[in-house]
Amino acid sequence: MDLLLPADIIEAERVFPGALAACGDLDALLRLKGAYVGREGSHAARLMESLKAAPKEQKRDLGAAVNALKQQWEEGIKARQTELEAARKQQGDLASRWDPALPPPVPAKGTLHPLNRLMDRLVEVFRPLGFHVEEGPEVETEAHNFDGLNIPEDHPAKASSDTFYFAEHPELLLRTHTSPVQVRTLLRVAASLDQHGGIRFLAPGRVYRKDEIDPTHSPMFHQVEGMLVGHGIGMQHLKGTLEYALRALFGPDTDIRLRPSYFPFVEPGCEVDVSCPLCGARGCRVCKGSGWVEILGAGLIHPNVLSYAGIDPEEWSGWAFGMGVERMAMMLSQTPDLRLFFENDQRFLGVMGGLD
Amino acid sequence: MWIERKALALELPAVSGMDTRQLCEHLASLGFPVDGVVTREGAEVLDVDITANRGDAMSHRGLARELAAKLCQPLSSLPVAATAEGPAVVDLRLETPACPIYSTAVLELGAGSTPEVVQAFLLALEASPKRLPAVDASNELLHRYGHPTHAFDADQIHGAVSVRWARAGESLVTLDGVTRSLGVKDLVIADEAGPIALAGVMGGEATKVTETTRRVLLESAWFDPKSVKASARRLGLHTDASHRFGRGADPAMAQVTRDLLVDRLVRWCQARLIGAWTAGSASLRLEAVILKAPFLTRVAGEPVPLAEAAEALARLGCSVDLQAEGLRVVPPSWRHDLATPEDLSEEILRLRGYDRIPSVLPPLEGPPQPLSGAYLQRQRLARRLAHLGFHQTVTYGFISPEMDAPFAAPADRPAGRTLSNPLGQDYSVMRCSLLPSLRATAEQNLRQGAREVRLFEVAPTYSSGPRGPEERFTLGVVWGGTLGGEDYLTPARPAREADLHGIARDLGLAQPPDPRPLGEGLYGFEVAMSDLPPAGERIIPAFRPFSRFPSVERDLSLLVDLGQSYEELASAMRAALPGETLQDLRCVDVFRHKSLPPGRQAWLMRLRFQAGRTLVGEEVDGWVAAALGAAESLGAKLRA
Repeated sequence: MDLLLPADIIEAERVFPGALAACGDLDALLRLKGAYVGREGSHAARLMESLKAAPKEQKRDLGAAVNALKQQWEEGIKARQTELEAARKQQGDLASRWDPALPPPVPAKGTLHPLNRLMDRLVEVFRPLGFHVEEGPEVETEAHNFDGLNIPEDHPAKASSDTFYFAEHPELLLRTHTSPVQVRTLLRVAASLDQHGGIRFLAPGRVYRKDEIDPTHSPMFHQVEGMLVGHGIGMQHLKGTLEYALRALFGPDTDIRLRPSYFPFVEPGCEVDVSCPLCGARGCRVCKGSGWVEILGAGLIHPNVLSYAGIDPEEWSGWAFGMGVERMAMMLSQTPDLRLFFENDQRFLGVMGGLD
Repeated sequence: MWIERKALALELPAVSGMDTRQLCEHLASLGFPVDGVVTREGAEVLDVDITANRGDAMSHRGLARELAAKLCQPLSSLPVAATAEGPAVVDLRLETPACPIYSTAVLELGAGSTPEVVQAFLLALEASPKRLPAVDASNELLHRYGHPTHAFDADQIHGAVSVRWARAGESLVTLDGVTRSLGVKDLVIADEAGPIALAGVMGGEATKVTETTRRVLLESAWFDPKSVKASARRLGLHTDASHRFGRGADPAMAQVTRDLLVDRLVRWCQARLIGAWTAGSASLRLEAVILKAPFLTRVAGEPVPLAEAAEALARLGCSVDLQAEGLRVVPPSWRHDLATPEDLSEEILRLRGYDRIPSVLPPLEGPPQPLSGAYLQRQRLARRLAHLGFHQTVTYGFISPEMDAPFAAPADRPAGRTLSNPLGQDYSVMRCSLLPSLRATAEQNLRQGAREVRLFEVAPTYSSGPRGPEERFTLGVVWGGTLGGEDYLTPARPAREADLHGIARDLGLAQPPDPRPLGEGLYGFEVAMSDLPPAGERIIPAFRPFSRFPSVERDLSLLVDLGQSYEELASAMRAALPGETLQDLRCVDVFRHKSLPPGRQAWLMRLRFQAGRTLVGEEVDGWVAAALGAAESLGAKLRA
């Protein structure tokens, strides 16, 4: 039977598997397909031609053999085509796939200054309790900065060694605390206090004291003042508010502690400690092992402060607190040097600032 | 103030059994936090923080008295017998009510020195003993009992002694060797030759006790706190004595401390008392204060039985009468700070412990107020700039006159916003602009290797007004360095004025200020917050209809002169177009090349039309032709 096939066909069939495997891409396979099973001039076409000329009695067997051969070739080519198509697809996939490790274009990232973030957070914490924000100028009068706050005429803070004064306006100074905002606000609302049912506000801002610049001192820094005036306000309300606020700030497990202290504009006065937010009050370097960190000064508004503003201390009472923003920021972040907050190195701001 | 543990225990025996931590906690709970504990001269010494209102606590006895009240433990009695007083040995006159009482004695000193234990006590408090019994005894008594005294060399005093106001032109060489010129508001001790001591502040050099002193005149008086404070402040002379007199000493201690001093000198160096007497007298009784129950309840946050309050106040030395209206309280002679019901309430709370104050949220009595527009505007602006990639900075409000000058308005006088007592020249002028500080910060960042700086600050700037510096909130922005080039898609390029101009427009400035070149590749602008759009009051603006029909875009490449004003060209073109269909007209590319005619550049103008219907090609062609015509009237030509 084999003898019936021409020698070149037999050779073609012998090399077919190797030729098939050698086709590296679909183009090569297409050429091979043309040579073996193409419509014209291929091995299969020539065999079909020769079949026509074959003797009648051989036709059947030869026909079957030719068909078998043709089918074998076609199947081989089809299988290879599937293989090559799959390979090409994979190649294509690889080529089109983006490497997520490549640095992508990223929108520039800016930040709010850490001190402003902290002040914003405090405002956020007090907002739900009905506090709004009051502000005042940094250039203040002696009256607002000292006299209205029950600070005696001969208080050392008034000295030019402690407070910056203006050359052409000796009665003007750079406010040494945010407390003059208390005075301004109380003076403004005194007449309408009844109508508003008291007042409660925060006063964040910049203040100035004549301190040399060093790792723990700065001639300009920030404070947040808080004040509430209402009917029958006592120490319990100060404690309740600060407990709420400091828990909102440092976490629900935070404890606070009031210790007696003295500030001319409050009586009773106190300092407020918070259980160390860094070690969870277990004792660390920041709380010097005590588990407590001093966070602010506070007290019930001195009746002289209310009277100065024209508010009757027999009817109204309230509390006030003042908090150093830098001190708190340094404590929370463990920033070793206060000057970093005013140097504004973008590397510092990038890490310490943020947008939330 | 340094407090030696053993000396404290001498005043209050209950302290000796207490561990240090416990002691510190008691002190802190009373309002005297302990800043540190050190061991000096073999003694444990506490650094106790005493607030300015508590001059009475500035001694071992004073703190012991506080602890005794807190712990309900008895104080030791004062170890002294009253010295028998006799006629005055020296003529002593009190010429002003600023010194109502002056207890004194003259003694002849014998042999003997300051006992070792007293020297060790002084060393532990960093108060160097002089080994002169009169000096060391005075110093010891000050720390132990809190009442300042002084010893003069009696043989150096000329004639009669008086306590009086200094006369203009008088001076005194104080113990520190410095000549002090005195004024009529300085209270002095004087002899017939002039001042010999600055009352309550410091003694004089000429009458000080030395090794050769044979006879001493002692001083244990009470001086008016205001005058002591004023002299100490004016002369910059802050001494242990001025601290205590300045905060208000206990007039009852004048005579007692004199007795203690005499007793020490007799025991330490066999001194012989020549005479002791007291000039003047002090009213020891302070004004009574009425404390009513509702008041105390309000402050304390819960009802405090008046009996408990009375008992607490009595422990502090007050004499208390329980009356129908409340407590009638007369503070002890050492507590000048107790003058109001608030003061008394604090004392009661202090002894009960602040930890017993309940915690209550204050009830809202009226509607909360909204945040002010100006505050919100600043908050939102800062957030917007941060989202645009800018870092917020905080810099000092004062700068050097040199930095300030180039930014000052011609009419603005820097002198009107200059400090009289700045930290130094570099911090002497309240700035008229944020840009000098922002520039310095930007340059510092670039020097430190930053590729790009994007900074802003929102802070007050100042101008000189007739009534002093006027401040207004200002926004300053700087941008410099290299943009992009940090990833495979964004090419690097230097920051340009146009970038900053874009930011200014983005912030909603109708007339953005021209960015100011601030140095190599660094630009900045600033604007008053009041010139920026206010924080929106409407939550959602009024609806404006927009077309859903397709828009048509046409580009016109125009050759224009190099000096052509864009605004002029754009408004001419806009004027030629139907305003209701022109959605946008802008230059999207600028081409400058030698292939163009000399003096010309090419602007690619993009026009976008849209209407409430589908636009027809022909009508758009007509508009474009009209726009071109308008441009041509300004010398532009369609680029071939």
